[in-house]
Amino acid sequence: MTVLDNRVVSTASDEEAADPRDPQVRLAALLDEGSLRLITPEDTSGALAAMGRVEGVPVVAFCNDARTQGGAMGSAGCEHIVHAYDVAVRERVPIIGIWHSGGARIPEGVESLHAVGRVFAAMTKASGVVPQLSVVVGPAAGGAAYGPALTDIVVLADQGRIFVTGPDVVHSVTGEKIDMAGLGGPEPHSKRSGVVHVVAKSEPEALVQARRLAVLLGHQGRTRASEVKEIDFSDLLPESPRRAYDVKPLVKGLLDEPGVELHPKWAPNIVTTLGRMAGRTVGVIANNPMRLGGCLDATSAEKAARFVRMCDAFGVPLVVLVDVPGYLPGVGQEHDGVVRRGAKLLHAFAEASVPRVTLITRKAYGGAYIAMNSRSLGATRVFAWPTAEMGVMGTKAAVRLLKRRQLAAVSEEERPALEERLAAEYEEMTGGLARAMELGVVDEILEPANTRGAIVKVLAQATPARGAHGNIPL
Amino acid sequence: MAEIRAEMVANVWKIIAAEGDTVEEGDTIVILESMKMEIPVLAEDPGVVAQIKVAEGDVVQEGDLIALLDD
Repeated sequence: MTVLDNRVVSTASDEEAADPRDPQVRLAALLDEGSLRLITPEDTSGALAAMGRVEGVPVVAFCNDARTQGGAMGSAGCEHIVHAYDVAVRERVPIIGIWHSGGARIPEGVESLHAVGRVFAAMTKASGVVPQLSVVVGPAAGGAAYGPALTDIVVLADQGRIFVTGPDVVHSVTGEKIDMAGLGGPEPHSKRSGVVHVVAKSEPEALVQARRLAVLLGHQGRTRASEVKEIDFSDLLPESPRRAYDVKPLVKGLLDEPGVELHPKWAPNIVTTLGRMAGRTVGVIANNPMRLGGCLDATSAEKAARFVRMCDAFGVPLVVLVDVPGYLPGVGQEHDGVVRRGAKLLHAFAEASVPRVTLITRKAYGGAYIAMNSRSLGATRVFAWPTAEMGVMGTKAAVRLLKRRQLAAVSEEERPALEERLAAEYEEMTGGLARAMELGVVDEILEPANTRGAIVKVLAQATPARGAHGNIPL
Repeated sequence: MAEIRAEMVANVWKIIAAEGDTVEEGDTIVILESMKMEIPVLAEDPGVVAQIKVAEGDVVQEGDLIALLDD
């Protein structure tokens, strides 16, 4: 597993305390000033763990010692990490790992592999029990790559690099020439792989993001329905129902202050953001019509499914903003497993126990209507703005299919008018929004200006709950 | 040179940027039409539009080259 140069890069000296790779320096930078208390000895094991606070919220944290064998993970260091997990699970507090490690210690042979495997097992057992965050500040290769990957959220600093095998091995095996950043830096992991949830411009900024996330998940707060300020979202939707727009202002407006968007550049056709609404942590999921028309596809369904399951595991209520023309059609999608990967989103919502509110802002069609936390999957409450349309497909597409003979029988000049008339009849028959209300699949039509209060009221009244499951990295 | 490719099968509805234009990240290059939606194709990085490879009315397949951007 070890692929990096792990010579001893420095030894004890007077300057050691100022070494930015000193794990105690890194842990102190993460935790509230003066709150750090070591829970493992300072030794040559390659890892250090501590308890401390983040904005007053108790957490456990650990960090590789990149000064010793490039932070490589051996038996003793892995014991320290497993101990940190034991403490976090016992205390029911979030655990944050700061990663800078070339992977398993080569000289220890299979002993180090066994030890790294024990860390993975501890992480998996803690999955869904306590929030797990990873901050990757340097190279994290082999076993040190899969460590963060098993956790709930991965934050990558500018110098962070994540890969299973490094550039040298890639080159010797496949002949591909690439540097560490191109292989496993911020660009590939933010846009292509989905390995990283949040990219930060520097190590201090990465630690700040991890602190924000630890507080959001570790201290979720209570919904204070009396303090809701309404925002009029009437101007958000473009006049033409075909026109794209960015959904992010709506997400931002619903939250008290800007939240932390996870995976902003990967599968951007769906937005997943953790933030606070009326004082309480919520997870917001929103189709973004600006990208791919807001269609669901294999990757966005998988991204959203993992987010739903993470929120459910930690009891974070969900707010689902729906504007989706359907699942993305195409050979690429089908062969890419849109059926298998799309099913994950259905499973995630149908399984979820947390309160979850749906708001259909503009359109909800086909299988994507079901997948976006529909009543059928167990939504706590379903709201719709007056502009909302829903159905198996758009009315014109439906009549073109259902009435194709009748349409073919008239001349081309007459056809558009007939199509309009048939579409209106079809609309009346299948009912659109009115029929959805009658069926009980939409509970209430909301004016955009009353949206915040209505959603907060549901969240305040809903019975708190959390799912009894782990958060497998889907 | 950055390539901008179609993410889905669509009709090219409108060309917005012209060759030689300077664009910022998030600027619209062309607007596609598919699923009864207008779908803007955006510049992922700032740059200068070197070439537009499609014309209005064209059908593009997933992965087809739409434009080239000079960094």
